[in-house]
Amino acid sequence: MIMAQSISKWMRNPMVAVGTCSGFFVSLTARPRTLGLQIQVQTQIKAFSLKGGSSSSGGRDFLALSDEELSRQCEMDTFKASGPGGQHRNKRESAVRIKHLPTGIIAQAVEDRSQHMNRASALARLRTQLALKVRNAVDLNGYQPPLELLQILPAKSTMRGSDCGSQIGPNNPKFVLGMQALLDLMFAVNGSVSDAAKFLGLSTGALSRLILSDDSLRMAVNELRTSKGMRPLV
Amino acid sequence: MNSSLPRTILSTISPYSLAFKRQKLPISTRVSGPVSFPSISSIPSSQKPRIPLFLRPPIFTTSLSDLQKWQQWANNLALSVGSKFVDSDNGPDTNILCREVKWLLEDAVEDKSILCQLVSPENGKLVKLRADLDELYCLWKQRIEERRPFQYIVGCEHWRDLVLSVQEGVLIPRPETELIVDLVSGLVLEEEGLREGIWADLGTGSGAIAIGLARILGDGGRVIATDLSPIAVSIAAFNVKRYDLQDKVEIRQGSWFEPLEDVKGELAGVVSNPPYIPSSQIVGLQAEVGRYEPRLALDGGENGMDDLLHLCEAAALMLKPGGFFAFETNGEKQSKFLLDFMTQKLATNVHNLEAISDFCGIKRFVTGFRR
Repeated sequence: MIMAQSISKWMRNPMVAVGTCSGFFVSLTARPRTLGLQIQVQTQIKAFSLKGGSSSSGGRDFLALSDEELSRQCEMDTFKASGPGGQHRNKRESAVRIKHLPTGIIAQAVEDRSQHMNRASALARLRTQLALKVRNAVDLNGYQPPLELLQILPAKSTMRGSDCGSQIGPNNPKFVLGMQALLDLMFAVNGSVSDAAKFLGLSTGALSRLILSDDSLRMAVNELRTSKGMRPLV
Repeated sequence: MNSSLPRTILSTISPYSLAFKRQKLPISTRVSGPVSFPSISSIPSSQKPRIPLFLRPPIFTTSLSDLQKWQQWANNLALSVGSKFVDSDNGPDTNILCREVKWLLEDAVEDKSILCQLVSPENGKLVKLRADLDELYCLWKQRIEERRPFQYIVGCEHWRDLVLSVQEGVLIPRPETELIVDLVSGLVLEEEGLREGIWADLGTGSGAIAIGLARILGDGGRVIATDLSPIAVSIAAFNVKRYDLQDKVEIRQGSWFEPLEDVKGELAGVVSNPPYIPSSQIVGLQAEVGRYEPRLALDGGENGMDDLLHLCEAAALMLKPGGFFAFETNGEKQSKFLLDFMTQKLATNVHNLEAISDFCGIKRFVTGFRR
C-alpha cells in the first residue's frame, strides 16, 4: 500500500513542471553499451550544488539508490502524449524520457519495443550520466581509492588487494560506480593522468588505457583536460 | 442494447444487472456493430494460435540484396504515408512506420546481426528467413494499405519484459497497462498475504497481466485468468505455456467473475483492463484499433463503464478482507466517477480508494482494498 502511494506520487506531475536549470546546454548522442539500442541523452546542467541533502557525498548517494528509489526522484513521460491513450491508441510509442529532478539530467530511451524495457534502459543511461556529471569532493591527503574504483582497475595496480576480485569491465553495471570515483579523482588532480595514476598504483600508460576503454569515460576526461588546456587522450 | 436506455434509467438500474445482461449477449451481436470491417479483419475461424513470426523456423532463404530491395521498398511505402494517417485518425507517421520496418526485419531474419550488412550487401550473400520474401511484401502492404496493426503482422507484442503472441481476435496489450503489474509488484513485496494468494485477471486477452503477475508472486501465489472469448483463451494459454507458467496461471473461459464462484471471498487481488471506450467513440478510433481489434475488448457500452461498474461492485464481494483491486479506465472522467460510485455505494466493503495516473499523466487506474 505504501508502495502504491509512492508510485502514484512519482507518476504525478507528468510533464515538465519544474523550473529549468540555468547553465549551458549540452546535447550529445551516445552509443549505448547495449547492442541495437540507441539512446539519446541530453543534459542540461553545467554545475549545480546539491542543496538540502544531509549528506554531502551527493552523487555517490544517487548511484547507491535502487532503481526504484532512483525512479522516485525522477519524473517520467512518454512522448507525444496526445489524445486519450490506452485502448484508443496503437502507435507503439514506447519511448521513455526520465528527468532526474535533483540534477536536471534527462535520459531517454526510444528504440526498444516495450516501454518497460525503455524505462530500464533510460535508468541505466541516467546512472551513467550521474557518474559522468556529478562530482564528489576528494581529499588527496591520505587518499585511499574506494573499493568500487579498485574493482575497475587492472590487476597490476599495486593498490589492489586480493579481496577486489577480478577486474570489472565497462559492460558490467557496477563499472559506473568505479567510473564516478575515478572521475572524482581526475577532477581532484586537475586532469593529470600521471598524478592520478600514482594514487592508483598504476603506470600512466595503464591508466590511460583504462580511460580509453570506455567512450563516455574518455569523453568526460578529455572534456576536463581540454578545459585545463591539456592535450586530449587518444 | 444499453444505449437504447434513457440516461436516467441507466443510472437507477443496478450496474450489476446491466452488465450481467450485456455479458449474456451472444458474441455475434457484440461484434456486428455499426463499424464496417474490411475483409481482412474477419476473425479467423480457427482458434488454434498462429505462431508469431519470430518463433517460426528459418526455412526460407533469400539473397541479402533482395532483402535490401525489400527494405527500400518498405521504407518508401512508409515515406509515402507522410502525415496522412496522423491527420485522418491520429495514426502512425512515417517515423513510426520506418521503425516498424526495422522490427519486422528483426523478427523475420534468423540472425539479426546480418541486418547491419543491409547498407551495402555483399554480392551473392544469402540470408535465412522465417517467412518467404513474398509474404513479407504481402504483410507490409497490408500494414500500409489496409492499416493492419503491426502487432498482428508479426504476431507478437513486446510488453514489459515479455514477448506475447497476439492475433486478430485478441486485444494488443498497451504500454499503459504495464503499470498494473508495477502497482501490484510494490504491494506483494510488503504483504505476504497478497504475495502468496490467489489473483484474478479478468478479461485477460493475450494473458499479459496474468503472466506479468505470475512472475512477481511468491511460490504459493497463483493467478486465475478469465476471458469470454475462446480465441483469447487459446492465445493466453499459448503465452502462459511459452513462459512455462502452467502451474501458476489457470485460464478459465467465461464472463468476468462467473467462472470464479469456487474462490468467492478468497481472492487476494483482482485486476482487469476491461473494455472502457464509450460505444459512440468506436467509429472514430484509429483504423488499426477500430477495424481490427475485437470490439468485445474495447466497447464499454454507452458511457464506457458497463463492465467497470460491474467489476467494482463484484470485486467488493469476491476479494478476501485486505484484498486489492486495480482496474484500467478511459481516464480522468471515468476514474472520478468510479471513485465517487464506490465511495457512495460500496464504502462498507472497500476503502483506500485511489485514482492513479499513467505515464502521460492521465488518471488511468482506480485501485482500492477490501475492508
